[in-house]
Amino acid sequence: MHMANWTRPLGAAAVMLLFAQAGAAQETLKLGISAPFSGAGATWGLGMEWAAEQAAERVNEEGGVTANGKTYMFDIVSYDNKYSATEGARSAQTMLNRDGIDFIVGTVGTAPLRAMQALTERKGVIVFNVAWGKSVKGPEFPYTFTQMNTPFEILVPFYTFIKEQHPDLETAVLISPNDATGQELEPMAIETWKNLGVEMLASDWYERGTTEFQPIATKIASLDPDLVDFSAAPPTDVGSILKELDVLGWEGVKVISAGSSVEALMAVAGEAAEGAYLGASADFSGESATEVQKELNAGAREALGEPLNGLTISPYDAIMALRAAIEEADSVDPTKVKDVLPSVRFESSYGPSGFGGEATYDYPQQMLLPVIVTRVENGETVELTRSNPAELEALIND
Amino acid sequence: MELFVQLLANTLQIGAVYVLFALGLTLIFGVMKIVNFAHGGFFTAAALIVTSVVPFATVELGAPLWAGYLLAAIVAIVVVLCLGALVYGIGFQHVLKDLNGSFILSIGLLLILNGAYLAIYGGAPRTVPQVLPGTVSIFGAALTAQRLALVIVAAVVTGGLYLLIERTRLGLALRAVAMDQEAAMLQGMPFKRVALYGFLIGAALAACAGVLMAPINAVTPVSGDEFLIKAFIIIIIGGLGSVPGAIIGGLFIALIESVGGYFFDPSTATLATFILVIAFLLVRPQGILGNVE
Repeated sequence: MHMANWTRPLGAAAVMLLFAQAGAAQETLKLGISAPFSGAGATWGLGMEWAAEQAAERVNEEGGVTANGKTYMFDIVSYDNKYSATEGARSAQTMLNRDGIDFIVGTVGTAPLRAMQALTERKGVIVFNVAWGKSVKGPEFPYTFTQMNTPFEILVPFYTFIKEQHPDLETAVLISPNDATGQELEPMAIETWKNLGVEMLASDWYERGTTEFQPIATKIASLDPDLVDFSAAPPTDVGSILKELDVLGWEGVKVISAGSSVEALMAVAGEAAEGAYLGASADFSGESATEVQKELNAGAREALGEPLNGLTISPYDAIMALRAAIEEADSVDPTKVKDVLPSVRFESSYGPSGFGGEATYDYPQQMLLPVIVTRVENGETVELTRSNPAELEALIND
Repeated sequence: MELFVQLLANTLQIGAVYVLFALGLTLIFGVMKIVNFAHGGFFTAAALIVTSVVPFATVELGAPLWAGYLLAAIVAIVVVLCLGALVYGIGFQHVLKDLNGSFILSIGLLLILNGAYLAIYGGAPRTVPQVLPGTVSIFGAALTAQRLALVIVAAVVTGGLYLLIERTRLGLALRAVAMDQEAAMLQGMPFKRVALYGFLIGAALAACAGVLMAPINAVTPVSGDEFLIKAFIIIIIGGLGSVPGAIIGGLFIALIESVGGYFFDPSTATLATFILVIAFLLVRPQGILGNVE
């Protein structure tokens, strides 16, 4: 064989090998976000997407994540689930079947998550979520991991703190959105208030998308409770009710368990939101915030016009957990990653963290994070107290 | 007593916007015999424009809030009229009296409009400061000055529409076309032009509702969709194509929401309206004031 006859194929093979190696050395791992980007919960989706992009950028700048000799760069792909089961299922179909996504680093809403799980658990796709329902967790959902505190972590310390601040509280009214999240939260809220000696005068429901809240405000004002608990209602809806209650002259303690975005609340309610207690917000510019949180928060203020909160910052923590789990498993196979996630330790935006909650959910799939109670003061989020769950305390001291 | 006055005030507040919105929808159906699912798009466009123009006028131009709002209202109504003329010219004039065609066209248009609003404004709720701050008390019922203004303006617009339909040549033409299009054409009435006027009046009514609602509720690219569902319930109960029916239906639905929301809860009240519309479709499908064809 003449030299020229085989040098060409050899050269071509060498070039192909080079490309193949380059490809193998650095691949892209798509991470999905399925959250509301329109409607009352849109601020959640926009904030989550931004936090996820910051986390991905940080991981990529630090050289990506390495598994089995390959380096992966993260890429965020977002889908609008409109906070509905239908859109949740549709976005899952698109993510899994069209875009080949194996890791979802943020989804909002119990109903959309339930719709997604039918597909993600069957196909073995990991879903990090901020759903508040208990029914989405358990040993039958081993690919599901929750990345923020839920009522089972928040309500007891949150309500107890409020009761300590207002020992004379005796009566309450609970307003819940009529969906899976609201339905799962309601009994626990009633039970917790009851244990604190607060009688529930009424527990009412409204449909997401409701635009007129005067009737419910009239009812609350006529019952004249010491406090109103807005349960899992999004900030825009709570703002509308608070505005109507202000018109009717009701003055009492305002409790927003799912309260996250003070800016959205203030934009609708104005001064009527003053003094409201929030269970899912945080002051990431305050003294208790970590440097990472302060940096992210400042960036979000600039990019989105509002700061981050407990819900919107959560994809950052999910991505940090995912990176640690991929490196621990030395694989991007979701099945291997989900096996190590319950025991992995990682640095969240709050500090050292891991997964726990087996006593509550029968499976360690709840991210361990501090419970932070905030209040609206002069239109700003002010942190009043924070406490670490026992499991997190043990992990930190370990 | 005070409670019932408050519930009545709530009914009027809620009903005012429902009536304006449903009037436009029923007028378009009456004249053109089409179902316009994109009607909510006109409402949303007007409300979104108000959320853009008010900050621009007050911050960039330094205008007082009331002047900024007035300017925003004019811009919003003019833009919606242009949008209405455009979609009529491109689409609706080709599907007059065609229920299936108008159904497909208007659903497609609704998707395009919602997508465009989302792309332009993003999905986050937008707000406008209240032009008339403060609260007023009427016979013990508390309501904001802004809401009171909404009720008054809605009543004036509704009264104006009633006069236009009953006392003007255009109104006569609209009624004639709604009653019998062929007979009206035999009398020399230009059907397509009358249909265009009817469509534009309907769009302007939706725009008015959007302009009035912007300072009261947070506005999103899908704000009109919630009102659209209610408006369909209202015109089915009131009678398709009937202007007085839309007024009665709007206030009736508002009454159910107000009283039902108080004595039960808003979810139950919403459920009751759906049960009511099913009952009407079974027992009196032409609605309260509709005609049997």
